[in-house]
Amino acid sequence: MIEVVDIHKRYRGRSVLNGASFTVEKGQITCLIGINGAGKSTILKAIMGLTPLKSGTIRIDGQPMDKNLYESIAFIPDHLTMPPGMKLSEGLRFMQDFYQSWNANRAEELMKFFSLDQTERIGNLSKGTAAKFNLVLGLAQDTEYVLMDEPFSGIDMFSRGLIAEVFSSHLIEDRGVLLTTHEIGEVEHLIDRALLMKDGSICRDFQCEQIRSEEGKSIVDVMREVYQS
Amino acid sequence: MNRYLKLVHMEVDRFKYILAGLMSLTLVCQFGAVIWMTMSAVSYRKSGAWRNGGSMDYSYSSSPTGNLSFTDVMSTTQSIFMIPILLSIGVLAIYVFLIWYRDWFGRNTFIYRLLILPTARRHIYFAKLTAILIFIFALVSFQLAVLPVEKSIFNLIVPSDLRDPSYFSDIIYSNPALGMLIPWHFDSFLVYYGIGIIAVIAIFAAILIERSYGRLGILYAILYLGISVILLLFPMFGLGLDDVNGYLYPNEIYTIELVMCVVVMSVSVWLGCRLISKKITV
Repeated sequence: MIEVVDIHKRYRGRSVLNGASFTVEKGQITCLIGINGAGKSTILKAIMGLTPLKSGTIRIDGQPMDKNLYESIAFIPDHLTMPPGMKLSEGLRFMQDFYQSWNANRAEELMKFFSLDQTERIGNLSKGTAAKFNLVLGLAQDTEYVLMDEPFSGIDMFSRGLIAEVFSSHLIEDRGVLLTTHEIGEVEHLIDRALLMKDGSICRDFQCEQIRSEEGKSIVDVMREVYQS
Repeated sequence: MNRYLKLVHMEVDRFKYILAGLMSLTLVCQFGAVIWMTMSAVSYRKSGAWRNGGSMDYSYSSSPTGNLSFTDVMSTTQSIFMIPILLSIGVLAIYVFLIWYRDWFGRNTFIYRLLILPTARRHIYFAKLTAILIFIFALVSFQLAVLPVEKSIFNLIVPSDLRDPSYFSDIIYSNPALGMLIPWHFDSFLVYYGIGIIAVIAIFAAILIERSYGRLGILYAILYLGISVILLLFPMFGLGLDDVNGYLYPNEIYTIELVMCVVVMSVSVWLGCRLISKKITV
């Protein structure tokens, strides 16, 4: 379980995170929802140790973030983070060289699934193709958790369909997934739990199925209540 | 350790084309200069102008017999020899900054990936530092390896009866840039390269300060570099190394200078490793 407890962060004099607390369970797809600038990406970066916090604690399976935990938690940022001069094959080789959790067979499977050409240079990829390769790099690791920052942002509808297919496949099963989005429509049917962010903290935390069956509300309905009230 | 070496390999790999370009430029400039100058001097001699009282400047010779030596050719081609050397120094000086900043800027911010590698973050710091040192010593070694080849080319062009012997130390000292690059005395080597390495380490610390503290970081980084320069220069200039009436003996001032170098280097390495481990932000 990923535990985020009372985290605070200021950026350029503005309070970006203001006591956000939540957990991410294994076997669930949890979605962090908020308007632009709500601090969703900052939370993912903070979990991965990519930005320091003013206060608060983050634990992964009870442990504070440590270099060895990067073998059990994969991060898929909102853009591809490999040098543009690299070929896709070199990118895969890089991951294999550095991560013990790298699963070359799964990487091969994903490359075929997304129809990616290994000889292509990363710098020449279109946004959609780069997003697919980004997913390959994150999902081909045998990790307990996957963090995804806006996986559908700026991607055409056909590529979105392929990426959405991944969410309901064995590639995600049993893992704890935390993803962020401000376009909930694409992922509403895929997610188990929603965390709504407002003013730097979590203002609603609910199981999507439960709220659908008990209150007859969709995630968008709850979002309207929170953000338009 | 294994991942550190892989990181070093990756950093070297990313610079390989620029390194190859600098080496090629060195080859082209220096070979071209040696061949052109030597051939002009030989043809001048063969034309008989030398015996008929031709200009000494044009003869490229310091020998009273008018014979040519490789040292003479090196001496007359100083500026062309310096072009690739100064360019290499300039490119490496810029790359000390680029080796960090290119990972932050641009469409693909590779620093995200580097910082989430399952290895101690100090390995990223030391891999970049090691890569810079490898580039410096690779270029110096290449220059050293090229000199005997250039001498052989000279020997091939100049007939033995027109040739005076040259010694390696004279060849190096005939060009100030080479003399600085390959000092004859080991203590000079330590001083030149030691100062260079301390400068690289201090700049690395300043870059990481800037990357860790946002806009204020620029101010902190400039302050850090300023304080480091003052600490390094104070014993030499503040305590009066050349002042015979000074309070301290030169040996004591040298010791203080050495201590300052160790302090600046240690603090910079410690600070760099700490910032990249705890404070860095993407």
